[in-house]
Amino acid sequence: MSDEPLVRVDDLRKRYGDEEVLRGISFEMGRQDVQVLVGPSGSGKSTLLRCVNRLTEFQGGEIALDGTPVTEMDVDDLRRQVGMVFQDFNLFAHLTAKENIMLGPRRVLGKSEAAAAERALDELDRVGLSAQADSYPGELSGGQKQRVGIARALAMDPKLLLFDEPTSALDPELIGEVVEVMEDLAEGGMTMLVVTHEMGFARAAATDIMFLDQGTIVEHGPPEKLFENPEHERTAQFLERLTRLHGETR
Amino acid sequence: MSEGAADADAGAAPDARTVDPGRSHAGTLKYVVGAILWGWVLLRWGNDWLGGVIVPPGQPFVPPATFAAVGEVVPVLSGVANGLAFAVQYLPNLMNGMWVTVILTVVSITLGFPLAVALAAARSYGHYTGWLALGFVELFRGTPLLAQLFVLYYGLPWLPAFFRNLPFVGQGFVPAQAVWVAIVGFILNSAAYQGEYIRGAIDSVDPGQLEAGRAVGLSQFGSIRYVVLPQALRYAIPGWTNELVYLIKYSSLAAFITVPELLYRAQSFASETYRYTALFVFAGVLYLGLVITASSLMGSVEARVAIPGLGSDEGR
Repeated sequence: MSDEPLVRVDDLRKRYGDEEVLRGISFEMGRQDVQVLVGPSGSGKSTLLRCVNRLTEFQGGEIALDGTPVTEMDVDDLRRQVGMVFQDFNLFAHLTAKENIMLGPRRVLGKSEAAAAERALDELDRVGLSAQADSYPGELSGGQKQRVGIARALAMDPKLLLFDEPTSALDPELIGEVVEVMEDLAEGGMTMLVVTHEMGFARAAATDIMFLDQGTIVEHGPPEKLFENPEHERTAQFLERLTRLHGETR
Repeated sequence: MSEGAADADAGAAPDARTVDPGRSHAGTLKYVVGAILWGWVLLRWGNDWLGGVIVPPGQPFVPPATFAAVGEVVPVLSGVANGLAFAVQYLPNLMNGMWVTVILTVVSITLGFPLAVALAAARSYGHYTGWLALGFVELFRGTPLLAQLFVLYYGLPWLPAFFRNLPFVGQGFVPAQAVWVAIVGFILNSAAYQGEYIRGAIDSVDPGQLEAGRAVGLSQFGSIRYVVLPQALRYAIPGWTNELVYLIKYSSLAAFITVPELLYRAQSFASETYRYTALFVFAGVLYLGLVITASSLMGSVEARVAIPGLGSDEGR
């Protein structure tokens, strides 16, 4: 059982109506892996991510977490184990930063108010926002909101963290602070599945980069290989363009 | 130059009320008038419930002759003084009608509210329950309230009988059974309208909020309860206040099923005395007092629960 990968995706297929957006995706992630997904818009990368915690249901193939197919797990139980960070943050707008982080531990894990608050403050400290504990989302910058979003996911002690373009809604000067937090997490051994255009992050933190196009994996491999010596012309062109656009933000 | 600097200072004052004396005076005036009105109303109700502590129940605090005397001393005011001398005889009774109006409104809106939240949630998220809620809303919005009251009071004889047999109904300041039947009607009708305001508010909450709740591991119900509703109910306050204000006034339809509320009493004294204008003006002033009180209270509730950035896209 110990050699079982944390995430196993096997021939995953998803269609919206007649349009097949994922056409047989297969890959595995070990513990502490950082898997980066890149690809042009419409390539299916966000859909793939959302299939993992079943925010989107899929029609064919299988995704297993720790050996158990996610379709056989209770969906709320699955989401307790898989945290998610959204492109547009989706912080609970009526709660302070601290309360945002406390809600899951309080209402899902059943922790006491005091224990949840203590944990929330620890997580805020980890993302460098102790001073903003009592600020509402409307009072935070985009970068701060996203760091609270990460802290909110971390407070649930997830086995796996999903990032859906976490920096795409940010002003360029705010991207750095979020990427820094993500790199710290990767270094600390968090297992992460990340859809991003941040090539700086991919180069520095990814164990594997996967290039998706039109619902299939074009190629994947460690960053050195994909950046320096890709097999496909398409991969080379796409990564080069992304690096030009998003590689030098820090 | 120095004048410009003074202007800049005034503009920078943190509290707008400190730099706008007109608004502050209007606010003060509202509180003073409100305090006088409610002081008088509460004194009146207290006196009559306790069996006449100050004056016998139903008797005015100030005898009508006093107003008539003022009119004789100051001839300019004689018209107003005569009107007052007439009206004060009926005011104690109008005030008791106002109590019934308050009971009708407050009990109905309060008990209708949880029903409205359930209807709204069912309309926004339910499948079969959504259809049921839609049926309820269309039935109670789509038929005249008066017809609903008639059906409840005359068409379902067991309903008034049920309330009549309760031990406390009709005793002391608890009104008689017709009032409770009217309240049942207002709860059902008002819940339909309140529910639509709340549904609109639920639908205006960013869908990402519900999704984020689900992603944290909350159930659909938990996400609605802890994430969507706390925001939606804040958005719903202005529309909901509108419904409250309507209810204060359409509670007068209860008169048709023999409920002696404010307008019913004004009407019956007017038809005895033929002084329609004076009596309806007084009834109108009392309604106005109720409505302004209700909207002021809801305004302060709205300010109290306001959250920085909520209601704009920046809040997410």
